[in-house]
Amino acid sequence: MEQNYKTPLAAWARALEIFIPAYMFGKSWGVADARTVDLFRAQFPPFFIDMAELLKEVLSTDIESLRLFVATTAGAVVGFLVLMLLALVNHLVMADRTYINSLRFTAVTLIPIAVLNGTLSHGVKTLVEKMGTLDAVALYKSAVITPWSYFGLNVVFYTTGLWFFGRRVGISRGRRKYVVLTGICFMLLYLACGLMITPAEWKVLLPKLQQSLSH
Amino acid sequence: MQLTSKRFLNLNKYLLGIAIVLYVNALFDAYFVQAGIVCCAAVAACNVLRQHRMMTLLAYLPIAALLFGLTLIINVRFLQPGLIFVFGAALFNLLHKEYFMARPRRAALVWLIPCVATCLTMNQPLQDAQVNYPQVFFLVTLLLSIVPLVVLLTATPVEAPPKRPRLTIVKIRIVVQTCIFMLWAWVTAVAFIKGSQVQLLFWGLFNVFTVALFPFLIGRVLCGWLCPNATMQDALFKNLTYQRPIHRIPKAIEAQTHTSAMYISGTVDQNAPYMPATLLMAWFPMFFLETIYDLTGKIWYPVAFMYGLMLLSLLLPWRKLCAQFCWLSSYRGLAGHNSLWRLRFNKSKCRQCKQCRAEEVCPYYIDIRNQDNEMPVTCCLCFSCMEACPFDDVITLRRAPEEKQRLKTM
Repeated sequence: MEQNYKTPLAAWARALEIFIPAYMFGKSWGVADARTVDLFRAQFPPFFIDMAELLKEVLSTDIESLRLFVATTAGAVVGFLVLMLLALVNHLVMADRTYINSLRFTAVTLIPIAVLNGTLSHGVKTLVEKMGTLDAVALYKSAVITPWSYFGLNVVFYTTGLWFFGRRVGISRGRRKYVVLTGICFMLLYLACGLMITPAEWKVLLPKLQQSLSH
Repeated sequence: MQLTSKRFLNLNKYLLGIAIVLYVNALFDAYFVQAGIVCCAAVAACNVLRQHRMMTLLAYLPIAALLFGLTLIINVRFLQPGLIFVFGAALFNLLHKEYFMARPRRAALVWLIPCVATCLTMNQPLQDAQVNYPQVFFLVTLLLSIVPLVVLLTATPVEAPPKRPRLTIVKIRIVVQTCIFMLWAWVTAVAFIKGSQVQLLFWGLFNVFTVALFPFLIGRVLCGWLCPNATMQDALFKNLTYQRPIHRIPKAIEAQTHTSAMYISGTVDQNAPYMPATLLMAWFPMFFLETIYDLTGKIWYPVAFMYGLMLLSLLLPWRKLCAQFCWLSSYRGLAGHNSLWRLRFNKSKCRQCKQCRAEEVCPYYIDIRNQDNEMPVTCCLCFSCMEACPFDDVITLRRAPEEKQRLKTM
């Protein structure tokens, strides 16, 4: 069987395989505005949000769609940096392929987490935009009282993805176990850095949120 | 197919009846028009269920009354006619698989219904609706009704593959598809009319589970059984056999899905792409534009999105949209490579009679007769191939003993 295949648009596909998951993974960190930035800092690892906010200041504009473009791009840049670091770890663990292929593999495995991130940020943003007092309670319940279900979902989805994608791209069973272990460590670190809101954070956050909503 | 007077095929009379119902109801208000359309769709469905014969008036009345009652309960009156029509037509096509085959002009006549309904209800205010531009929306509906009408009227009929009796599993699939589609439609309608964001919950849950978990376990089943967009394509256009305006897609795009993503990347060639470029590019409208312009926050967006898909489905060959351009579909193909279960192809049993016209019945255009022992990862387990094959032992749920033997000796 032929070992190297000439597939149409392959170069495009390989590039997009890296950039699109990176964009999806990181964009949520950049979409916060003045009203929701504190909420996002509590919900996601705060230094990612701060990095994205820093990048956003490079080009500030009053045009809403352009502002969102800059915001998501800033988030995506942060996402890409995280992806590159994680890919480096995976590359060392797999030790059987080039860095660019490790990067592609890592990017694809982040898609489930990217979808969860996107759903969380978009859901919360929409809730905040429509929020009254009752919705604030609903947000509190969903964000503070049930973080463990979200925590569990992230870990299960990510490790399942790693295992099956690992099989798909031909990582040996022995190496795959280490890849999954690395993934679990990354996920624990990611979640420990501040995914979801703790009750203590909520106490600080609520007055700020109410104040910003009253304006 | 022989058309006899006993069968429910007298479309002209049926259309005339609908037009009268619409006209009479329009004298009152939009509420009755909507209910009338629902009833007409119900009659069509009932006729199909009753062996394609026209129902008697006595049998029809209780069903009409029941549906009328349902419209009161679930506020169907707020749905705009285009959506109602899509439900009715979809149900009709799903159940009556041979009716429009190779007869696009007859299908075109049916699209008169939303045109007429929209014209009649154009000036009716949507009293409880939160939208402030109902007339614009009605105009869009009218336009989207006229396009299929024109396309189908000018279309060239194409001979359709023979149909076999429907399998039980396919019937179950259709019921599941219809239920999910109706759920989506209800959620969309509520979001549109009430101005709520309930459709985000639907798509949020749908995306999370159909991206992050299920594809690894059950592969592309979701494309065949659950996706509302796929259901709409199956329902409205699967059985419309005509030459599509864009009937050929560039080879570079076609070849991607056959060579790269789902087959050779990874173990065979580490440098080969995992997913086709066109499918990846399709993610941009989904994530980039949606975020930049905050489209998911707009209540018209889900309806406009579905209408856009409907038009594209009308222009492209059936399900090419899924096979070549759907980002979720490509991802599921990649993720489902090691899924737990596949449909079996017993190669030793295949007579190569080619009666099934396998590539045409498969939504993903899989060359089924050239598979080794099971369907590839691109299979969405819709069982269309099993239904099309004239023999019962070629495509099966479990591998045949002879096939097991053959594989052992290889």
